[in-house]
Amino acid sequence: MTDRKTIKEICAQFKEIIAEPGLKIQRLQAEKPAPVIGFLPTDVPEELIHASGAYPFGLVAYDGLWVNRADAHLQTWACSLARCSFGMSLAGKFDYLNGLIIPHICDTTRMISDIWKQNRPYDFMENFILPRQVDRPSARSYLTGELGRLKARLEQFTGRSINGEKLNRSINLYNKHRALLRKLYQLHGHHPDLITNLDLFNAIKSSMLIPKGLHNTMVSELISAVEQQAREKQAEDNHGRVRVVVTGKVWEPPDIMEILDQSKVVCVADDLCTGYRYIANDAAEDGDPLETLAVRQINRPPSPCFVNREQDRLEYLTRKVNECGAKGVIFLHLKFCETENYDYPLLRDALSAANIPSVRVETEIGNMSQGQISTRIQAFAEMLGGGDIYGS
Amino acid sequence: MAVSQSFKTAGLLKELMAKYYEQGNLAREQGLPVVWVTAVSPVELVYAAGLFPYYPENFGALAAARKVADKISLAAEARGFFSDLCGYARCGLGDAYAKEHPVGKIVPPDLLFSCNTQCGSLQKWFETAARMYRAPYFLLDAPLIEAPTTRLIKNYFVEQLEEAINFFEVATRTPFNFDRLAEVLALANEACRLWNEILDMAALKPAPFGFFDACFHMAPIVTWRGTKEAVMYYRELKKELEDRLDKKIYAVPGERFKIYWDHIPVWPKLRWFSELFAEHGALVAVSQYTHSWAYQFDLDRPLESMAENYSEGFSNRCFEDRINLKTSFMKKYQVDGFVLFSNRSCKPTAFGLYDKRSIISERTGLPGIVFEADMSDLRYFSDEQVRDKFTVFFEQLAAK
Repeated sequence: MTDRKTIKEICAQFKEIIAEPGLKIQRLQAEKPAPVIGFLPTDVPEELIHASGAYPFGLVAYDGLWVNRADAHLQTWACSLARCSFGMSLAGKFDYLNGLIIPHICDTTRMISDIWKQNRPYDFMENFILPRQVDRPSARSYLTGELGRLKARLEQFTGRSINGEKLNRSINLYNKHRALLRKLYQLHGHHPDLITNLDLFNAIKSSMLIPKGLHNTMVSELISAVEQQAREKQAEDNHGRVRVVVTGKVWEPPDIMEILDQSKVVCVADDLCTGYRYIANDAAEDGDPLETLAVRQINRPPSPCFVNREQDRLEYLTRKVNECGAKGVIFLHLKFCETENYDYPLLRDALSAANIPSVRVETEIGNMSQGQISTRIQAFAEMLGGGDIYGS
Repeated sequence: MAVSQSFKTAGLLKELMAKYYEQGNLAREQGLPVVWVTAVSPVELVYAAGLFPYYPENFGALAAARKVADKISLAAEARGFFSDLCGYARCGLGDAYAKEHPVGKIVPPDLLFSCNTQCGSLQKWFETAARMYRAPYFLLDAPLIEAPTTRLIKNYFVEQLEEAINFFEVATRTPFNFDRLAEVLALANEACRLWNEILDMAALKPAPFGFFDACFHMAPIVTWRGTKEAVMYYRELKKELEDRLDKKIYAVPGERFKIYWDHIPVWPKLRWFSELFAEHGALVAVSQYTHSWAYQFDLDRPLESMAENYSEGFSNRCFEDRINLKTSFMKKYQVDGFVLFSNRSCKPTAFGLYDKRSIISERTGLPGIVFEADMSDLRYFSDEQVRDKFTVFFEQLAAK
């Protein structure tokens, strides 16, 4: 047992994990050899990777320096998230990976997998070919079948069979993990002075880089520390903070969360792939595990990548704002992200019709004007009346 | 002088397309649902359901060919759709907001039916339009084919075709007519057969017909496929081409080279390119694009065979399949070089071309280039840069 750590210490650990994304997993691999299988964010059934005995590893754009490394193989009008991850791979920054799973969620992910295979293949290269409509019965049967295909490929590669029991254990672990992070998210909403936006999102992102069991321990400790300090603290230091919902694909580059923190903007809900969308819902622990994983994927919060007329994003987002008592919405868009851009004008108009102010911030990994974005966010926060008392 | 306005059938084409647009307006007047469909989607279902299929992509191509795509697009851009999106989509969305309609007004949909075999842009464009027009939307989803097609994907596609039939039944309140579907599929087979025989004539040396002609004459195979009109049109065109062969009228006089072009043309520069190639005695003979409409349906198993034809479109195939498709066309048409168009509007056809260029050259020994532009938006076209690229290409060809 270690001594009880402070909030700051645990949050610093999350930050360190992200700063050296492959470090921990390589150490673990040296102790307990197993393949490391990467995945692009985040519509990938990590539970399957885990149940196969391999280490899942999330590839997010960790270092904007390498964006241009991809230029000889991929047009510069692909999004910087894809260019950066691929560029880092070309530069040998992910050489410790044994495999990579690419979920097909847009034209770029659909096309990049073969380009990747061509230029920097890992031993195990698989696509996870998701259904792009999720509101009809055919999606569920197809997805269950696709999960079965991926499972068989993983079994073939790792030489280990994934039986129902193993998979259910992994699902259980992942459910616990998601529940813990949801709890942390809630705490952040109540005590943004104790857990900042950056702390929260670092906690979520770092969980893609180390085994969930290990991460669960850290998040549990963090939750206790936050709860304790919340009990002890005299008064809320929440003057001037304003609650918002953030919508988009990823919170990259990470500076964006620091800007929110500095601007006293508190993200109380989001639908980011590397944010709440990653932890929003669980898979049932009884029944056929492949089917429950399929159902979990289908029931994830609406994303622009999947057609879901049953639960349209327009209504979902408006409802979310009201549920969380947020005062506005920040669109966090990666330049060249088509799926987000198609949705944007009508989403903005729907919000505006519901009297919800919004602002759009365009980011580009490796090429972002921090000052400009900061000014925009601050102006938005002021417009929302940042001077008001925080809380519901 | 290689664009085929001089064809006799050009007049017929004009008539046919006018009739098509007229039908769209008529359908609206008569309260017949207008169904927005995508170019590579089983329109046969729509015809069999007695509905009017409308191709907003065609609207985009028309605007592009008339060099007004960027202008119509501005109306969409003013609303927050960025110029990075597909040029066709920006035109289609922009026209709904625009005050001026230089190529006529886009016909609003009562239903939307899109297939993402071609791309995810169509999926998003149609979804956006469905929100805009508050109309029911059906996405026919085509998972990427990694050769060979799996039973899983085929079953998924067939199941979705059944769901689509149900979608149309609900809209028309009429049971779907499978006999009518068989008739439509037979007509589509016939039109596709004729169209591909016409395309094959570009393999003759010298040839009476090439890619730029095909771009001009392809509208009926897209919009009228599954009707008598398309069959009639391609019979006439084929007759005219045979006649031209007899009279020794060729697409590029003094044809020296044959070229493979991948994939869609730069519509507002169709004539520019056709003249550039003709100047060098080069005929662009073949492209995957115009060959996309090569369907053959098995009437004994209509849904399965539609699933095969529509899910296996080239832009939905893996890297290696797509290289093989390209090189097999190059071989069949005995080309001397190839041009790959990195089309800013079209990620699925553009991404991967940089690697494909070197792999194809390695495998075939042919010179080839990749050039950057947009299929419809002239703001992304640099005359000078493109000309420089092609100058080098023609030098390589001549040196061969």
